[in-house]
Amino acid sequence: MNLYEYLIDAFNQAPVLIQIGFLIVLALIICIITLIISLRAIRSYLNIKGKEIIKNKKEFEALVVEYLYSGTGFDELSEKQLAIITRIKDAIISTSKRKSVITILSNLMNEVSGEMSDSIKTLYHKIGLITYATQRLESKKWHIVAKAIVELRRFKVYETQDKVATFLNHPRKEIRKEAQLYSVHLFKFNGLSFLDDLETPLSEWHQLLLLEALLNLENQKICDITPWLKSSNTSVVLFALKLVKIYTQFETKETLIELLSHPEKEVRVYTLKVLKELFGYEAEESLIENTSTSDLRIDAEMSLLNLVKN
Amino acid sequence: MDNDIIKIIIDIFHYLFFTGSFLAVLSYVVLSIISAVETIEYVKKNSFVNYNHILSSPISPSITIIAPAYNESLNVVENVRSLLSNHYPNYNVIIVNDGSSDDSLEKLIEAYDLEHVEYVVNEKIKTQPFREGVFKSKNPAFEKLIVVDKENGGKADALNMGLNISESKYVACIDVDCLLLEDALQKMIKPFMEATDHKVIAAGGVIRIANSCVIKGGKLIEVNLPKNLIVQAQILEYLRAFLLGRMAWSRLNGLLVISGAFGIFEKETAIKVGGYDTATVGEDMEIIVRMRRYMEEQNKKYKVAYIPDPLCWTEAPDNYKTLISQRNRWTRGTIETLRKHRKIAFNKNYGKFGLLSYPYWLFFERLAPVVEVTGIIYFGILIAFNLVHWQYAVLFIALAYLFSVLFSIVALYSEELTYNQYKKKGAGYKLILLCFIEPIILHPIVLYAAIRGNIDYYFNKKKKWGAMERKGMTAAETS
Repeated sequence: MNLYEYLIDAFNQAPVLIQIGFLIVLALIICIITLIISLRAIRSYLNIKGKEIIKNKKEFEALVVEYLYSGTGFDELSEKQLAIITRIKDAIISTSKRKSVITILSNLMNEVSGEMSDSIKTLYHKIGLITYATQRLESKKWHIVAKAIVELRRFKVYETQDKVATFLNHPRKEIRKEAQLYSVHLFKFNGLSFLDDLETPLSEWHQLLLLEALLNLENQKICDITPWLKSSNTSVVLFALKLVKIYTQFETKETLIELLSHPEKEVRVYTLKVLKELFGYEAEESLIENTSTSDLRIDAEMSLLNLVKN
Repeated sequence: MDNDIIKIIIDIFHYLFFTGSFLAVLSYVVLSIISAVETIEYVKKNSFVNYNHILSSPISPSITIIAPAYNESLNVVENVRSLLSNHYPNYNVIIVNDGSSDDSLEKLIEAYDLEHVEYVVNEKIKTQPFREGVFKSKNPAFEKLIVVDKENGGKADALNMGLNISESKYVACIDVDCLLLEDALQKMIKPFMEATDHKVIAAGGVIRIANSCVIKGGKLIEVNLPKNLIVQAQILEYLRAFLLGRMAWSRLNGLLVISGAFGIFEKETAIKVGGYDTATVGEDMEIIVRMRRYMEEQNKKYKVAYIPDPLCWTEAPDNYKTLISQRNRWTRGTIETLRKHRKIAFNKNYGKFGLLSYPYWLFFERLAPVVEVTGIIYFGILIAFNLVHWQYAVLFIALAYLFSVLFSIVALYSEELTYNQYKKKGAGYKLILLCFIEPIILHPIVLYAAIRGNIDYYFNKKKKWGAMERKGMTAAETS
């Protein structure tokens, strides 16, 4: 009798519990071996991928820089630029190369402005990245759609505004947020129109991102903030209060006074802070006189105290 | 008749051990699956987040880093430099020198050009009094730094002093010897700011082991796998705990502990519950349990968040003596906390907290070592009386060992696919090998320390923290 037959025989004669246990041991050993092999494969894959990313980065960075400095100084592209566009266009059929090019262009967009920024946007359009991004907007995976919107926002792609607008009230938070940011980055204060009928709450994080988008824009015309101060969505009111404070909207004083009776304490307290910031000591005194609710009175007094201290 | 009774008792024991082991394995399997779902979700969510926006924002919330220091003279200057190099725009650092008997304070005064300032503290939480008082730097480059010198009162007392002094909305409580990555605060504050329909009361981060890593100027330059086997085994243990366990509990909103090495708290709630408990050695777990309990009792919606990014690096014990002392303390801290809040156990008024998190900790953290040692003693008795069914015994041991190896490999898998910190050639093989030897070189020590912790808790009430020998991360990396 060989070893194999002996083991089979021993297994058959063993109690059922031992047989089950033995099978689980066998299954665990197979699982462990499989995981170790795939772990090794993943490590190798990540290693190779890492090297490929570095190689692609070097190659495309050089090409993009060459493109940027080969301009004619006029609107039309030079021969060299056209050749580079063709070369990159052919290369980005590969997903990994496409990702490398997007990363390079995104990083450059963060570092440059003016003509250079426009050149990058032109390159983004000409090599067809806009088509890939637009296609990704149709994906059923939320993170792919959200990433595509981020990309379109970064390269200020206006052509997709209608499509992105359909995501402004998307049930998935991440998509909705990115669509709203796209709207503000591209259309400045006008892009905030989604606040008019927004039912979902704006998180503090998202408010910060929206404010950052607005603060980074130059020569913008500030719209009338009052309707948002009267919104039934508390987070919209809080966001509007931040706008009032940052953009020193003195003309909203009457609405601010009304907000002192808002049902949400957070709104009342923040309104006080804004009033203090905009109208100073004089406002504080009259506020304390006119404040009826005890919590707000305390806040107002605290606020006054801080003002005197400062 | 007597023999029948003994047989029944033995059978009951068998079924109890079998059920306990089965439930433990089942819980690990379930937690691994939940953790995988949560990890994928987290990675997807954060793949397009730009944390740099917060750096220039006028509305970024204020954070105070509170770092208690006790006899940390060896590295305190370098460690503070690291804390001051964070990228976050709106933060300050409070170093609480908790009655150190060494020259920590003198070194800080000299290095940061500190001067004594008059400071009136609103003592919302009772603490030990000032010794030398409060110091601030004359150099504008260190304007974010506040050093408080107080009478010794323990880590919890020092953190409470920090809570009293802080004027920020959030406090980051950190061990002074921890290395905090520059973008740590940006990432940790996000869950607090993202919450809309609930309040995030605390957020914990992953703690990574920095032994043998290259650190220069308070920055992590290179991640290395240490040569010391005890430290290597702890790396694996941490990966398992943070990438599998806590990630899953975070998804279930059932986290009962945030590592004392690094965690952020919403200050208002932390103060409302009375701050850190100075009577326990497990103050990091206790405050979370108390904050959760408070929120449940107030019927408020809340969450304890968790960030899996490797943001905080610390020195792990590299010898058995220190390791045992540390784990002994962790065990006592767990017992103290669970006993203090035993009202929560199986209490439906506390929801998931009382019916899931607390019982899990009670059975699989608090009682597991006791059950395991009872099992070992029982096995020894069976051997002595020649009552062992070796077929069953060997099979049971093999199953326990293989499950342990499997979970370690799953944790490694998760690490490779997410943060992939140990990229160097050869590290992969070493980590796989570790999965097989860790149950032999680390587990018995941890078990021993846990039992010692139980004995000390019940029979040696005077025992407190125990010393943690610091070699210093900067010293460790160059050796």
